[in-house]
Amino acid sequence: MAPAAAANLGYTPPDGGWGWAVVFGAFICIGFSYAFPKSLTIYFKAIQEYFSVSYSEIAWVSSIMLAAMYAGGPVSSILVNRYGSRPVVMLGGLMVGIAMVTASFGKSIMHIYLCVGVIGGFGLAFNLQPALTIIGTYFHVKRPLANGLAMTGSPVFLSTLAPLNQFLLDSFGWRGSFLILGSFTLNCCVAGALMRPVHKQIKPKPNAEPPKSNGPAHEKAATEDTHAQSAGLLAEQEQSRSSRSQGCASKFVDWSLFRHRGFMIYLVGNVIMFFGFFAPVVFLAPYAKHQGIDEYSAAFLLSILALVDMFVRPGTGLIANTKWIRPRIQYFFSLAVAYNGVCHLLCPLVPGYVGLVLYAVFFGVAFGMVSSLLFEVLMDLVGAHRFSTAVGLCTIIECGPVLLGPPISGALVDIYGDYKYMYYACGVMMLVPGIFFLIMHYYNYKKLDEEERKRQSEAMRMRSGLSVRVEGEEEHVKMSQVDETADEADG
Amino acid sequence: MECTWTGNQNKLPNITGYWKKDGNEIDSRLTVPLENEQYNLKGVFDIVGEESLGNYSCVFGSEAKIEFVLAAPQMGEVRDKPIVSYAGDSVVIACKMEEPKPKPSTWHWYKANGTDKALIDAAAEPHRYQIHSEGGKSTLTVRNLTQADAGFYYCGAVYLISTSLGRLEVRVITFLEPLKPFIAIVVEVLVLVAVILLYERKSKKKSITGSQKTKKEKRENSGGEESSSVRQRKV
Repeated sequence: MAPAAAANLGYTPPDGGWGWAVVFGAFICIGFSYAFPKSLTIYFKAIQEYFSVSYSEIAWVSSIMLAAMYAGGPVSSILVNRYGSRPVVMLGGLMVGIAMVTASFGKSIMHIYLCVGVIGGFGLAFNLQPALTIIGTYFHVKRPLANGLAMTGSPVFLSTLAPLNQFLLDSFGWRGSFLILGSFTLNCCVAGALMRPVHKQIKPKPNAEPPKSNGPAHEKAATEDTHAQSAGLLAEQEQSRSSRSQGCASKFVDWSLFRHRGFMIYLVGNVIMFFGFFAPVVFLAPYAKHQGIDEYSAAFLLSILALVDMFVRPGTGLIANTKWIRPRIQYFFSLAVAYNGVCHLLCPLVPGYVGLVLYAVFFGVAFGMVSSLLFEVLMDLVGAHRFSTAVGLCTIIECGPVLLGPPISGALVDIYGDYKYMYYACGVMMLVPGIFFLIMHYYNYKKLDEEERKRQSEAMRMRSGLSVRVEGEEEHVKMSQVDETADEADG
Repeated sequence: MECTWTGNQNKLPNITGYWKKDGNEIDSRLTVPLENEQYNLKGVFDIVGEESLGNYSCVFGSEAKIEFVLAAPQMGEVRDKPIVSYAGDSVVIACKMEEPKPKPSTWHWYKANGTDKALIDAAAEPHRYQIHSEGGKSTLTVRNLTQADAGFYYCGAVYLISTSLGRLEVRVITFLEPLKPFIAIVVEVLVLVAVILLYERKSKKKSITGSQKTKKEKRENSGGEESSSVRQRKV
């Protein structure tokens, strides 16, 4: 059975219906968030010439945008916790749109930094987090599949935006293209409109253990369900106590997450992993050119990667959803990370274009698997309620390795003059977290199973005690009602 | 320029060798002796100007020919697609002479005028044109663009022997052009958002009235049950 954290939603998620429209909305948001910064690099040469700046100055736009996107994570989480996904996504879409339109009138490179970099980056952050969070509220049984489908947005959008941006640049120059892209990103608002807050329909569970979740839905459940009214009363008391204690701290940052075993495992592993996650993608084309392959074939390698990625992500979601993998999904993720490492370690051993094509295919599979599962495993560990805060914390902490990874790898290439050391380093930086995850999650699953067994035995004890009390109370309640109606009838 | 030929099957002791330029013979024919199994033909030419450039070939008898191309350094890659800019805005076009090639002594910029090339004098119109040349790179900035500024521009890397040319195209459009797709997409976004939200409100109304009906039914039922149990108890 999946870890207990996942079951404490307090309501039964629809697992379908409007959920698929929400997945489509998330697909659009995630697509924009990941693919937009990468696809803007097509305009760099034109902007660089226009403002007469050096290449490193224009590359700052990418870095600022990515940094803002990651820094905006916690802000985004707070807003989502407060207002729900829909308003945040629509605000994000509006921000990116306004940012691009303002940038199209920019008179200096600073304008571009501010508009595209800072405001655009924040707008994208307000797209990414809510999209991931809302999937957790709509899906439980089919969640890995939903996550996989939504994450497919990234390669699909990258493959579409790259040629589109080239076409826009050739037709309208960079200013006109920014204007049109501004309107194009407003489609995030359409995606936001699709993110209807989930209708929390509660079904009374047959084995009603006193739930520990603190969603507002649960109080509704207690009042609506007349059968379990007494049990609900007790649960409400417990709940108000726990919500009061969480009150202030959880308003901004859920520090208790840092004591959450699963979350810490995920965080530590991810920080190491992200040092070596994106660098191989960035350096694939330069590595090919270094080996003497022409520019078009080198670019074709990236297209192969994106194509494989596109199909592997939903495929992985489907596999992760099966009853064999779902309970032990953390192992699946660990294996995917370790497989990445193995790919990179083997890459320098296969020379020539055929070798690189093979590497691109295998790496595409590895990259897609990890990307598809990346947020699903976090949801699995901390549950849908705390996911928003958790992912906000993760993005800001992972910001460091993500931004530092490619430059460090680049430095390795420069120092040794050869790409193979960079690939070895990246391979190690993926293999070590993979093995770390495997060991730690084995330990974690054991602990979780223990806790689950303890909880169930306690619940059984409580239930037998409760049923006696409940019967007594019910009698008491019914008698008082009888007296009332008797009085009325008499009166 | 020097040509070396190892000869063919009949290693003749002497063979006639001569130079050609662009297909025409130059200088007199020479008798080339066979030395160390090779024929060597050397030619010394003065480069005086553009006329000295062209295709040179050294010919051995009627057997072997080696070709040389004498030319000024070719321009680095320039953008073959037009550079788009806006009326009232400025445009910066650049030409570059790649690293290992020698740097030109100066750069000139020309605007195509039909089949003619008119030299751009930045000093005469500083508010319109600005040329910035630095070694192997040169940029031309054209300000306050108008439709008349659209067309082909040539950058010339000037060397003693000749000038290497590169061609760039500038297109000038008004802001209305990207504005049309912009407005179209904004309208599409507004329409979609309105449709989605209206559809949601409609289905919410339906479910509210539906749930109200079921709530009423529930209350009636439970009320009935209670009264029946009350009746039971009373009895």
